[in-house]
Amino acid sequence: MPELNLRVSTADWDRLRKDFAPSFRGHRDTEFGAIGLLGKRMVDGRLTELIVAKILWPEPGDVIAHPHCALTFSSRYLRRAHMAMRKEGLCGLLTVHTHPISDIYVDFSGYDNRQDPLLMDNLVELWPGTWLSSLVLGARSQKGRLWVSPTRREELTTLVSVGDCLRYLPLNGRPAQRAPKPSEIFDRAKAITGSGALAHLSRRTAVVVGASGTGSLVCELLARAGSKRIITIDHDVVKGANLNRILYATKEDAQFRRPKVEVLKRGIESLGLGCEVVPVVGSILDSAVLKRLNEADFIFGCVDKDFPRMLLCQYAYQYRVPYIDVGAEIGGDDEGIVSTDARANHVAPGRWCLRCTGLINPRRLAFESLTGPERKRRIALGYSDDLMLKQPAVMDLNMRAASMGMMILRHLLQPFLLDPLPATLAENLVTYNMKPIAIARAKNEACDMCRCNPAVGFGDCAAPIGLDSEVAASLIESDETAE
Amino acid sequence: MANTARRAAVSIAKAKAEIENLAASGLAAELVNEGVQPYALVRGIEAPSPPWDRKLYDILFPIPVAYDMGTPLDAFYLGLPYNFSGGEHNRVSGQVVTVSNCQWKLVSWHYPDGKPFDPATDTIESHIIHCRGFFLERGALNART
Repeated sequence: MPELNLRVSTADWDRLRKDFAPSFRGHRDTEFGAIGLLGKRMVDGRLTELIVAKILWPEPGDVIAHPHCALTFSSRYLRRAHMAMRKEGLCGLLTVHTHPISDIYVDFSGYDNRQDPLLMDNLVELWPGTWLSSLVLGARSQKGRLWVSPTRREELTTLVSVGDCLRYLPLNGRPAQRAPKPSEIFDRAKAITGSGALAHLSRRTAVVVGASGTGSLVCELLARAGSKRIITIDHDVVKGANLNRILYATKEDAQFRRPKVEVLKRGIESLGLGCEVVPVVGSILDSAVLKRLNEADFIFGCVDKDFPRMLLCQYAYQYRVPYIDVGAEIGGDDEGIVSTDARANHVAPGRWCLRCTGLINPRRLAFESLTGPERKRRIALGYSDDLMLKQPAVMDLNMRAASMGMMILRHLLQPFLLDPLPATLAENLVTYNMKPIAIARAKNEACDMCRCNPAVGFGDCAAPIGLDSEVAASLIESDETAE
Repeated sequence: MANTARRAAVSIAKAKAEIENLAASGLAAELVNEGVQPYALVRGIEAPSPPWDRKLYDILFPIPVAYDMGTPLDAFYLGLPYNFSGGEHNRVSGQVVTVSNCQWKLVSWHYPDGKPFDPATDTIESHIIHCRGFFLERGALNART
């Protein structure tokens, strides 16, 4: 049975749980409730996830609740939410309420079962196509469902809370089932990734963007950590110059110019770890290719350009999917090496984007988003000399970055690192220095990516991310010419 | 009901809107394309004559396709032919491009160090003002030395 998940920011989920906690304390037995707005995520025309775009926190009089009675939402509150949903182009409403006497088991009441279809009837009459999802909370459990019409409902499977950490909570009204004992292959890693976290990792899809030096290493680490499905995206083919750093790439691959992602599939699947690698030959700049991210439970960015990083950031916020960007830099001057840095950044709702952390350079982004001939003219006039520096491609350094990224993913699944993760986790190997950079160096409190993004949580209800194939192809061609 | 929230994450919708607003306010500005590269074409930029051979010039500058994501603008092209003090201007030294059936030459006219185009506050209009500075007496004097 395919999963239908509910994705929510950790901040919203924690606040819901905190605000509703009094419902489960004392003897007042009063239900609490709130309404949210929903975005959606589709794969091949099938709904896979609802995304909580926003919770409209109730104002006085919005929720009518008395001890020992079922809660009702005021018509004013419902109307406000429905109007907001329509105005924003979102797909539905989420109602959340508590059942105060439920603890580790919770279910919808007969009253809920009668009221939800009636509410759905009203909403559809006002705006055909409105969906209604309802969530009922026990003290330590939750159950969810989606009404796509007044007579048709689907059960929700898992609540995914995304933020500084990543939580998977069952939405079947029961406690989480004990994870199966992992295969002995992963026995020695249990200390850092226990059975539960490993089960999540093995059930989820990781998308790795970039299949070169760092990307191939990340795929290897994911497979050896227990990931069972990796989608790897890269438009490029193996060349002779890549053989010093791409895992599994051979001289023959370079001779036949085989796509990097195909080489990676061959190598990773030959390990016999049961990890399927889905190769996608294409550029992440292309909106049709970027759409493959809709299958991602977590994204790794292993690219050395700012434009793809910017799009991955936009995706992370619009779909509330964790994105780990990894990279390495060698800094130098005329006299020699100044720094060798490996770095990993975790981008998620509530966290800073890569522009605010200073990783994305707006000038470089502008340069990368010009077509090839225009770039060449700039270069000829010396406008962009500093942007033409090639990124280092040293496997030992790439490994440090890939390792840090993988450790962050393990931490998200089963926390063990100091919380919260810094804006940038960097390592300066020249000075043997681990640098947790807590402050976003270029932070902008009005950033339209991570602070005031109008499409956050909208998923497929917002405009597609990325470029038309023709424009994307033109920019990629320019990169290759520049190389 | 209109959907006000929808916008393409990568588009130049903001650039288009800015240019439309400029055009509505009376400036002869339009968005043109050469292949997939968009440019802002602005006609009638005032220039002191002499040393320039005429009082109004056309300029052109590229709009990065990620403009709406907060990328800065830089550089501009001068419409050809032109004449400055009976000859060429030493900053009009870039390559020539044909856009909208006209020829244009890239001008080396940078933002000052420490004060680059700031996407948070600068706009296409402020970039045009920056470009106008090139034609003024200060720029002309610099060009002679």
